[in-house]
Amino acid sequence: MAIERTYYTIDPQGKLQCVKCGVPLEKGKAKFMYLANGFPVELPVCPICGFVYVPEELALGKVASVERALEDK
Amino acid sequence: MSQIQERGSTHVYKVNRISKEEIDSMVALCVYEQPPFCNAACPLKLDTRAMLKAAAAGDFKKALQLYEKIAPFPLILSHGCEAPCEQKCRVCEVGEGIAIRDIEAAVARFGELSRLGGIFKTTKKQSVAIFGSGLFTLFLAGELEKKAYPITVFCAEADEEAYLRAAAPFLDEEAFSLELKRLRRKDIRFCFGSEIGPALYSEKRGDFNVLCASEAVARSLFPQAVCIPELMYCEEEDLVMGCGEGVMDAAFGAKKAALTVDRLAQKLDPRNTRGSEGACDSSLYTDLSEATALRRVERPAEGYSKEQAIQEAKRCIQCHCEECLKSCAFLKHYKKHPGLLGKEIYNNTQIIMGDHQLNKPMNSCSLCGQCSVICPNGFDMAHVCAVARRNMVSTDKMPLAPHEFALLDMLFSNGDAFLCRPQPGYETCKYVFFPGCQAIAIAPETVKAAYLDLCERLDGGVALMLGCCGAICDWAGRYEMEEQTREFLDREFAKLGDPIVIAGCPSCRKELSSHDGLELVGIWDILGQIGLPEGAAKLSRPVALHDSCGARGDAHTQAAIRALAEQLGCQLIDTPYSGDRSPCCGYGGLTAYANREVAAEMTDKCLERSDAPYISYCMACRDRFARQGRESRHILELVYGTDAGAPPDISQKRWNRLTLKNELLRDLWREEPKEMNLPYQLDYTDEARRMMDDRMILTDDVIGVLDGFRESGEAIFDSDSGLMIARRRIGNATFWVAFTREAEDHYLVHRAYSHRMNVVKGQG
Repeated sequence: MAIERTYYTIDPQGKLQCVKCGVPLEKGKAKFMYLANGFPVELPVCPICGFVYVPEELALGKVASVERALEDK
Repeated sequence: MSQIQERGSTHVYKVNRISKEEIDSMVALCVYEQPPFCNAACPLKLDTRAMLKAAAAGDFKKALQLYEKIAPFPLILSHGCEAPCEQKCRVCEVGEGIAIRDIEAAVARFGELSRLGGIFKTTKKQSVAIFGSGLFTLFLAGELEKKAYPITVFCAEADEEAYLRAAAPFLDEEAFSLELKRLRRKDIRFCFGSEIGPALYSEKRGDFNVLCASEAVARSLFPQAVCIPELMYCEEEDLVMGCGEGVMDAAFGAKKAALTVDRLAQKLDPRNTRGSEGACDSSLYTDLSEATALRRVERPAEGYSKEQAIQEAKRCIQCHCEECLKSCAFLKHYKKHPGLLGKEIYNNTQIIMGDHQLNKPMNSCSLCGQCSVICPNGFDMAHVCAVARRNMVSTDKMPLAPHEFALLDMLFSNGDAFLCRPQPGYETCKYVFFPGCQAIAIAPETVKAAYLDLCERLDGGVALMLGCCGAICDWAGRYEMEEQTREFLDREFAKLGDPIVIAGCPSCRKELSSHDGLELVGIWDILGQIGLPEGAAKLSRPVALHDSCGARGDAHTQAAIRALAEQLGCQLIDTPYSGDRSPCCGYGGLTAYANREVAAEMTDKCLERSDAPYISYCMACRDRFARQGRESRHILELVYGTDAGAPPDISQKRWNRLTLKNELLRDLWREEPKEMNLPYQLDYTDEARRMMDDRMILTDDVIGVLDGFRESGEAIFDSDSGLMIARRRIGNATFWVAFTREAEDHYLVHRAYSHRMNVVKGQG
């Protein structure tokens, strides 16, 4: 069973809000999919509509480096 | 088609678009690893180049270590060395060749004696006996000691001194005492005062694994013995023996004999697996253009002093072939000669499972073909990389990410921004003007002026085709897309009555030349015939002309451009690496998309040739030079008196294409173009603009995200920054836009970023 990882912590809690549902985002389960690979992660998620937020530093950091590694497989 | 299918990573296909034999024969063209001529001429294979380099640096210890690798007794060898290397020295062609033997003698005299072997030095189990004295047995004992055999020398002499004297009576006292010291430090067992004859030989025969003898002893023991000179071996008598005369013969003979001992000790046939022995030929290329004709440092009777040897060694030009590395920023970046890099890139295509570590280098070559002109043997790295890319596409292992932006740009050029119309008033035309996608994106006013001029001054009608020639997918290795583009363009050309294509860009001309039955000319050819239009203006200062890599091997185009520049009155500065030797600006081969760092180094390489403003005849070159801060103009800007100004960003390039198309549709063909206005106001901060250009995010992507937000209302609000952040999956990437709502239908974009991974809500 894959290990779930947290790459982003909402600090302070409640600073991110879902515009559509008007509720704070919470830490929730999400999955990154790329080139037939899937990775379970924990990210800020809207508890109502399920909007998953990928912060900029995560997208340009860890996500980008994993993308490059998979592209060369 | 406006999307490209991302590859899956689980498919396993094996395709060989280039055979191993083909790559091997290409790799063999690279002479980088060929030995320098002095080294090749030496039967003992002294690394002369390295020894001279160390001597020139005053490092006699290192120089001696290199010399001792081939000479267990360097002073003896240097005394009798016939120096075949000196005749082959390339400096001979411009002056007096390097005095290698005299430098060797100085190295042997002044170099520090190497230390004894470490305490962990091991010896082999197979023992060797050597009968007799003389140079051959002395050298053989030295060679075998290096190979760690336990050696016993049976000789008639009373001690080491007498043994050495018998072998090298020509040494002066200083040299003799040094070599004696060296001999005593070697791990060799002597049986002095031996009575050498059949009795001793028979007695000792069973005690050793391999037996060796000097020529005199061997002949006295076995007068009928037949020695195989290549092996220094008498097969019938199972005896390794010396033959030949002189120091060189003895040294080379000892080397061959030591290898024979090696094979015999392992109970193997001494004929096999001997590798390359003796002097050989070299096909190394040496650039002598900067070598100056100098005289040798004069040698006093007692030989060079240390300082004199250093001075003489400094004259060595250190023969290396690095012609391509000197001129190509890509090869220089990876610090690998093309023979090695080509092989590694080929191997990269053969990996079925695992990391393709050479993907980035493979995609960083500009495919410009400069190396094929610079290399004395015509090594073509562009061919290796282009085939490797197509191979990777065939096996579905080619990452889409490095080229997707450029490929989508091509689809845009041949989609929304595509225009193909006959000249108003004509149904079919004699000509069609094909300015090229970069010219339309970077200098739309120049394209418009050129088209109107051609319409006015050419008979038979001039159609216009605004689109991409297909070079982008060719460079990306996407051969199926290339075929589709070819068919698409051929259909459009057919609609115009298969006119003569007037190419505005040498790369388009080259790419379109692969279409069957298409007649092609350059706009420079047409202007050469019809003359310059009114308003043509030269630059007032002298200018450097940059030849496009698309015109490599096309002397006609290069000459036509020069004639045009001359007609304009331009004062051209001659630069190194011009004409066929011209480097790529960094756009070719999609390097600018796959490896920005290398692309920037390529641009710098082009610009380092001159401080003057550059004129080019490819719009991509013009754009890259201007982006690097150099005043740069396309020759058509001078011809039509236009100035495209500062280089546009990636979104402006698309906007320019659409705007030119719409403007021409409205003004020339009286067609009402599609509405381009947004139903809301969208502005960008300067930082957002810079960020988007850097991250290859288009305003169209941002609009897509905002459109999605306006439909769904999905976004988050970050109370830290006060920004709303919305996202949308467009094609193979997810785009995120951070914005503020300035009014009901007015948004201000502050940040934008993207990732290719798709993110979905997890289960449970």
